Amino acid sequence: MTETLPRSAIEPKNPRLNVSRSANLPHVPGIRVGPYIFLSGMGPINPETGEREHGPIAEQIRTTLRNMQHMLESAGSSLGRVVRVHVVLADLADMPEMERVYREFFPIDPPARMAWSMELRFGNGCEIECVALAA
Amino acid sequence: MSARREVIVASPHARNAESSFARAVSTLVRGGDFLFVSGLAAVDPRSGERVRGTTASETRQILANLKQLLEAAGSSLDKVVKVNVLLHSMLEAPNMNEVYARFFPDPPPARTVCGARLPDDAKVVIECTALA
Repeated sequence: MTETLPRSAIEPKNPRLNVSRSANLPHVPGIRVGPYIFLSGMGPINPETGEREHGPIAEQIRTTLRNMQHMLESAGSSLGRVVRVHVVLADLADMPEMERVYREFFPIDPPARMAWSMELRFGNGCEIECVALAA
Repeated sequence: MSARREVIVASPHARNAESSFARAVSTLVRGGDFLFVSGLAAVDPRSGERVRGTTASETRQILANLKQLLEAAGSSLDKVVKVNVLLHSMLEAPNMNEVYARFFPDPPPARTVCGARLPDDAKVVIECTALA
């Protein structure tokens, strides 16, 4: 048996993006274990107010991916180190808009991805989670 | 502790419904000790075109493609640790399972199956994480 990988919770530098803490939900924003980072599903939270923003889907995707970038950078990683993404949309018809905005954030050598549609909480139009490598 | 990230282009089998539709998706990404495979829909590996069939036939096509993708990347079905299967209807789960069981060794990998609304009219989408 190899030695146990160190495991620690990730905190966003912007505390307003620590949604699970402010909403008292039983999960952390992310966990680092050894060289891997596992982020919780993230929704469209305004980083200035900490409130959900339910505008056009393109804006919701952009906000969510910006927050994911912030979360990864808070942990010393970056979008370029993401290896796998799950994109969940409330409305399947939003796939093309999601794709258009998504590629702004992953222009080259994008991560593996699975995208689908299902019912989401809080009226969110999207929820995005990822696995990344630490720096 | 830093790990290597590498996008693997396992041509000619790198085509799947995502990459052949010019989406911002890599089919295979290696990160450290793991290989992450994108959600695959049923695709003809020669043409890269979507194949539309029954849940059983789409599952068979996806897992045949997955086997080739993993092997082209130096991994294999018996190194898969976790599979996520999305079905257009959970009523189809037995039809998926019957085909699925023939592809994996005993013991098979960990797995989750969910019903979901799927892009491109797919009946099945399957992704996995394997040892590289």
